This record gives sequence, C-alpha cells and structure tokens, in this order.
Amino acid sequence: MSLLNVKELKVHYPIRGGFFRRVVDQVRAVDGVSFELEAGETYGLVGESGCGKTTTGRAIIGLNHATGGEIIFNGKNLSKMRGVDRRASVKDIQMIFQDPYSSLNVRKNVLSIIAEPLRNFERMSPGEELKRIQALVDRVGLNPESIYKYPHQFSGGQRQRIGIARALALNPKLIIADEPVSALDVSVQAQVLNFMQEIQKDFNLTYLFISHDLGIIKHMCDRIGIMYRGRFVEEGTASDVYNNPQHLYTKRLIAAIPEMDPEKRFEKMHLRQSINEAYKTDYNTYFDQNGRMFDLKSISDTHSVAVQ
Amino acid sequence: MIKFIVRRILVMIPQLLLLSLIIFVVAKAMPGDAVTGAFMGNPDVTPERIEEIKEKFGLNDPWYEQYGRWIGKAVQGDLGMSYAHKQKVTSLLAGRVSNTVLLAFFTLVVTYLIAIPLGIIAGRWTDTWADKAIVTYNYFSFATPIFVFALLMLFLFSFVLGWFPSGGSVDIRITEGSWEYVVSKARHLFLPVMSGALLLTYSTIQYLRNDIIDTKLKDFVKTARAKGVPEGKVYTRHILRNSLLPIAAFLGYEITGLIGGSIFIESIFSYPGLGQLFLQSIGTRDFTVVTALVMISGIAVIIGTMLSDIILSIVDPRIRVE
Amino acid sequence: MVVLNEKELLAQEKVNNPSLMKTIWREIKSDKLALGSLILLAIILTAAYTSPLFIDQLELKKVHLLTTYKSPSAEFWLGTDEGGRDVFSQLLLGTRNSFTIGFSVTLIAGLFGLTYGLIAGYYGGLVDNILMRIVDFLMVLPSLMFIIVFVTIVPKYTIFNFILIMSIFAWFGKARLIRSRGLAERELDYINASKTLGTPSWKIMFFEMFPNLSSLVIVNMTLTLAGNIGLETGLTFLGFGLPSGTSSLGTLIAYAKNPDIVQNKWWVWLPAALLILVMMLCINYVGQAVKRASDARQRLA
Repeated sequence: MSLLNVKELKVHYPIRGGFFRRVVDQVRAVDGVSFELEAGETYGLVGESGCGKTTTGRAIIGLNHATGGEIIFNGKNLSKMRGVDRRASVKDIQMIFQDPYSSLNVRKNVLSIIAEPLRNFERMSPGEELKRIQALVDRVGLNPESIYKYPHQFSGGQRQRIGIARALALNPKLIIADEPVSALDVSVQAQVLNFMQEIQKDFNLTYLFISHDLGIIKHMCDRIGIMYRGRFVEEGTASDVYNNPQHLYTKRLIAAIPEMDPEKRFEKMHLRQSINEAYKTDYNTYFDQNGRMFDLKSISDTHSVAVQ
Repeated sequence: MIKFIVRRILVMIPQLLLLSLIIFVVAKAMPGDAVTGAFMGNPDVTPERIEEIKEKFGLNDPWYEQYGRWIGKAVQGDLGMSYAHKQKVTSLLAGRVSNTVLLAFFTLVVTYLIAIPLGIIAGRWTDTWADKAIVTYNYFSFATPIFVFALLMLFLFSFVLGWFPSGGSVDIRITEGSWEYVVSKARHLFLPVMSGALLLTYSTIQYLRNDIIDTKLKDFVKTARAKGVPEGKVYTRHILRNSLLPIAAFLGYEITGLIGGSIFIESIFSYPGLGQLFLQSIGTRDFTVVTALVMISGIAVIIGTMLSDIILSIVDPRIRVE
Repeated sequence: MVVLNEKELLAQEKVNNPSLMKTIWREIKSDKLALGSLILLAIILTAAYTSPLFIDQLELKKVHLLTTYKSPSAEFWLGTDEGGRDVFSQLLLGTRNSFTIGFSVTLIAGLFGLTYGLIAGYYGGLVDNILMRIVDFLMVLPSLMFIIVFVTIVPKYTIFNFILIMSIFAWFGKARLIRSRGLAERELDYINASKTLGTPSWKIMFFEMFPNLSSLVIVNMTLTLAGNIGLETGLTFLGFGLPSGTSSLGTLIAYAKNPDIVQNKWWVWLPAALLILVMMLCINYVGQAVKRASDARQRLA
C-alpha cells in the first residue's frame, strides 16, 4: 500500500464580484490532481510559478483547505479531518519551507525553535529535550553550542538546516519540501540537497519535492509529476519524463533547460523553434476548448500523459 | 466609483440602527423615566397614578415595541420633552446648535490655517530651526490634555491679562445684528476656538510633514528636478498637489475629536452650546436631552466618517479596492 | 558530544542579542530630552508613590476651618483648599491615583485590544471581517459622551467601575493596529511552520505572533498611557471621574470651575494643571524614544 494517496484533489477559491459580493467564479488553483507516493521514494512536483504545485503541498499538510478530493495518508483520510484531530494524526507529515528567513521566528533561539514540535507532541524532561535537540542540531551539521543563538546569526544555508532539524524532530515519515533551496545561493544549494538525500536514508524518509527547477528535480527525484494550470500534464519516472517527454508542455519545459555545451546550442535552438511551431499547430490535441488539460492516460506502466 | 459610494452609504444604515439600539438600551438603563421624572416631587400624584400613566404611554410594553415607537418618533423629529426645561427637546437644541456649529466651524478653519502652512514649512525645510520649532510645538499639542490647555488659556488671557471675556457667547446688552454684536461674538469665540485649534493641529501637521518628506524623495519629484523645474514649482505643482488633497478627507474624521473637545471647552468657557447642555442635563438627570444629544453626536460622527471615506476614495483610488 | 556550560552560553548570547529593553535604554540615553524626561518622571512618581508614608491621609479628609484658602507658606508649601487641606499633599496623592488609574486602563485596554487584534489578524478572512466591522462601528461612537453617561448610570459606582468604563472605550485603536500588523505577520512562513508542527492556535497567537509585535505594543501603550491619564483627570475635572473622597489631579483642577479661584487662588489648581502638563510631556518624550528604538531606521543611538 502506498504511503500517501492523493485522489482528485481540488483547491478552489471563490472570486467575488458585483454589488453584493456574490461568488461569481472560482479560481481553480488545484483542479483534480491525483498521485501516489511509495514509502522511501522522492516524488517531484514541477511546474511554472502559479501552477498549483505549492498549493497541492500545502493542502496535503493542511495549510490550505482542500475543496474536493481525498488525501489518504497511512490509510487515514485526512481530507475529512479538521483541526486538532488532524494535527495529531499527521504529525508524521512535516514541511520544509522555501524561505529560511521568514520560516524561523526571529524572536526565538534555535533551542526553542526546534523544541516547538517536541513540546506539542512529546512529554520530555528539559534534560531529555536538550539532549535530543543537541543531537538533531549535530545531525544537521551545526555546532551544538549554537542552540542558544538566534536565527539572524546564521546564514541562509544554516537556517535551512535548522528548518530541517525542526522538521525531523518528530521522526516524520513524509516530508514536503517546498522549494527548499530556491532561496539559497547556488553554491549552498548542492550542499543542502545532498544533505537531504543523506538524511533520507538515515531517517527512512519519503519526500514530496516541490520545485520549478528541472535540474534539481532530475537530481533528486525518482518519479516526477508535471503540473500546469492546476492539473497534471504528465507523470512518470525521471527517465520517462526527461528522455521521453510526450506532452507538448513537458517538451517545452525540457527544451528550456539551458544547454551547457556550446556545440549543441544551435541544435537546441532549432529544437525549441520546432516545438514552438508544434505548440501553435497541435494546441487542440493537448487542450480542450476551455484551455483545460485532459485527464491523464497511461502509456506505459510508469508513464502517463494528459492527451485526448 | 459610484458602486463604492453607494456601498459606503449603505454601510451607514446598519451603523445608524445599531447606534440607535445601543442608545435606546442605555436610555432604558438610565434611572427614572419621562413619567416618573415629570411628576417627581409632586405629592398629588400617587405611585398608582404614575403606574397608570406609564401604562397609557406604553412604558410597560415589550422593549421592541417601545424601541419601534421611539425610533419612529425620532425619525419624525420628535425627540421628547425635557422635564428640566419644560419644553420640547428639539426646540431646546435649536437654540444651542448654532453656537456649537459656529465654534466647531471656526475651530476647524483656524486649525487648517495654522496646520497647513506649518506642515508645509516643516516638510519642505526639514531639520532647520523652523522645522525643529514646529516639531516641538507638535509634541506639545499632542501631549497636552485639552482641558488643561483651555484652563491655562482662560487664566492667562482672560483673568491675568483681561484681553478676552471669560464666558458666554455674546454680551447680553447688545442688540442682535449690529456690528458690535458680531465683534462681541468674535471676542467670545476667540479663546474657545484657539484652545481647540492649537491642539487639533497635531494630526494635520504630522501627516503633512511626513508625507512631504516621503514624497520629495520619490522618483517623479527627482525627475521634475532633473527636467529643471524650479524648486518652488516642484513643491506647488508636484508635491503639494499629492499631499494636500487627502487633508480635505480627514475633515470628517476630526468630528469625533471636536465633539469630545467641545464638552471640555464649552464647560470651561461657559459657552452655551450642546456640550454644555449635555453636562447640565446629566447633572439635572434630564435624560431625554442626554439621549438626544448622544444620538445627534453619533449621527454626526457616522456621517462625518462616511464623507471622509468617500472623499478619500475619490482622491486616492487605491482605497476603493477593499 | 560536547558538554556545555549552559549559563555561560546564555550569558554570551545575551550580549550578542540586546533585548528590546536594552535597546530602548540605549536610545533614551542618547537623547538628552528623553533621559531628562525619564529622570523627572521617576522623581515625580517616586515622590507620589512614597507619599502615603509621610502624609496623614485621614487628616486630609477633615475640614480645617481656620486654614481655608491659605496661600503658599512654609507650613503649607502650596497653600490650602476650601477645606483647609494641604494642597501639596493632595497633589502627591492625586498624582499617585491618576497614574495608577491611567496605567490600569492602559493595561486592561491593551490586553483586550491585543487579544482582539491578534484573533482578527491570525484568522483573517471572515473572522477578521466581522471583528473589524464591529470595531469600525465602535470607533464612531462619541466615546466621551458614552463614558459620562455610563459613569452616571452605573449603580454602586467605584474606582474599579470607573477603570472598567474607561477601558471599554480605550481598546479600539489598539485592536486595529495589532490586527493590521498581525495580518502581515500571518503570511510569513514561521506561522505556517508552527501550524504544521501542531502548535495550537492560541499558542501561535501569543507565543509566536505576539513577540514579533511586542515593540509595536510597547510603543502604543506608552503613548496611550499619557492619553489615558489625561482622560481620567479630564473626567474627574468635569465631575464624572473618581468618586468623591479619592483625590486625583483632576479634583484639584476642578476647583478652577469657580472664577474666583481661577483668578485669586491659583495655588489650588495651577500646580496640578502644570504637573499634568509636565507628566504628559515626559511620558511622550520617553514614548517617542521607545518608538525610535523599536524601528532600527529611526534610531539615534
């Protein structure tokens, strides 16, 4: 059985208008998204900004209200639970946030930041707690002496490690990583990513990795879902998607990855142009008359595409 | 635009209803009612008789019926009888309204006459001695309680120096309509108006100074300078046009302060306006008058803030998007 | 694992992270006017709060017909009032009462406004909409009139009732202020993080959000403290403040309703009026320094 099963997830926001502010339409931020996560794998959600990938992640953890569909985690249907009940049963899901500057409370020191989840769920003596936190801080590669420091005394990469330590404190099964490195310097990105892969093995974690960066997704993920306008365009293993892209949008995305080899640049340019041509001519095979994507159709065991 | 204005006006309706409801509840909680008040101390009227009259006037009906009757009368301009003055509340107010309106009007005019030039000077020539003097004055006007200031004004200009009369709104012996009458009115108004205005300048000066300082660093002002627009014109054409308009809108918001202030000012200068009437009526437990005055003040503030919101939305389109 | 000396580490971090109070103190020290105001205020308040030690309060309630309206002398530093009571002693006791009441009102209104604002700001959306419509409405009430009416109709009027009535009308602005900053704060990820970590909402509001708004609250409280003392003395001046028998600075100033006293017996009311003025200015100067301290861009130090 899969660890997380998302079925037809919908997150809609009402648009109010007119004199009495009645609901006139819906913004379909996420519009019927389904996927499964197996324990231990890394699943990548990719797409341009505003495509609904972050909203999907936030709906799973409960930060956004899912207007439709089911989220089944470990056999429990989360979409039906509310408030405290839900938190207690999803302490196994944690999140790493995009911005390491705003995701840590500047008024609290590292000790109390990491202790927050422990104090919510586990009854520990101050001594035990301190030991546990020092171990965590040590594990994420920070000096255990720094637990009395405040967030502003750390660099972006170090802050993100504090965020990771906080997410690890409860020994979660699933971690939703929402663009975990896009706010960091490129030089630090690789460090943090490799470190995330290390702890994945140690803690036996499953990642839902959200990013707009195809290079990072390729590096990190076993399976990938490509999103566009709140729906899945294509889903498959990393090699399915990168080596055999089927949907026009996926092709355009992959063609947009900058080419390092100057010899091949010209070739790539032609490829891009031909895909752009195809986009104009074949638009109707990929989008229905409302500009909405079709449902996913599987074309192999692992690979499915949204075509007619 | 029109939509915003209409919606803003519609918001007023529940506000007015709620205001009237609160005042009604408070009025009911006031000790004594119109009937008991009217016959108080009259030995010929027995408690049974009072009960009878109460029944006749519907004072024993459920509260919502009483409220409905009360609001219905109020809308038609019938605010009841003042038992202390033995006359209709409306005619009692009519004699006072003009004094208070006059006081409020001149207070506002003087406030802006002082505040706008000072605000502009402080904003344009920041960190000069003039700016520092204005900022210091502003500290004073913000910190000083109005009744202390008014008392000190009264003490200094009326009692020590004897320049102005210490109370009333006009000398009694002068005939209405003559030139002397106007002069006398002005002399009586001077101290109350100045006491209010000198303190009320605070928010306008503060706003203007900050806004001009902010605006003069904006890119469009730099562009104007770079084009070679003379410094004086940079201010009149570009900066002040932006900064002065919202002040027109703050006018309505000032009404709350004016009403509060007028109670102190009218009491200290024995100025026969609504504020003084309010205090007197509270003192004589003339609650029909008190209720009417609170109601009128509430309506004035509600209408004032509404006008301010609408003017502001015309001046600054960003407000309209809620 | 490194064994740590906790106390040492904590001490070291204290130096690196000056607390808000430290920053405020540094700011006040660098502004002579604010420092002077703070010292003056401290002297006034110390005198006022220790005054019951050397003032016979019972004596102040008695009427001494032989010493009515004495002008200032060595025996009565600031003369006596209509009851022959020492004005200077009343001034000290009045300052103590006025300050205590102003402070209590600031605290109660502050606490309520803070909670209200935090709830509106934290939940946002519909909750915020409803709560703010209520505040919008309450703000347009002529509050001074309502306070006076309440004071007159409350049965069994006590100091505590008075404080409560003033507090009822003193929290709207604070709630609005906190709410608007709270709304900005709730969009930040540390609030989201706390939610995903299973922290209950009330804890997030008070232990995560509030510390980030604390400087705003402190600044606002200092500045409204002055306003509340002014309001109390003003109401007492009008005769709708402290119950009779409890002296306030307003009680002394209220003597000035009589023109004869204004003109000829200035020692009864003028010192109290000037003392209020001085206190208001001092509190405001300190408040402005606190305001600058809370905003790194405006600091002088």
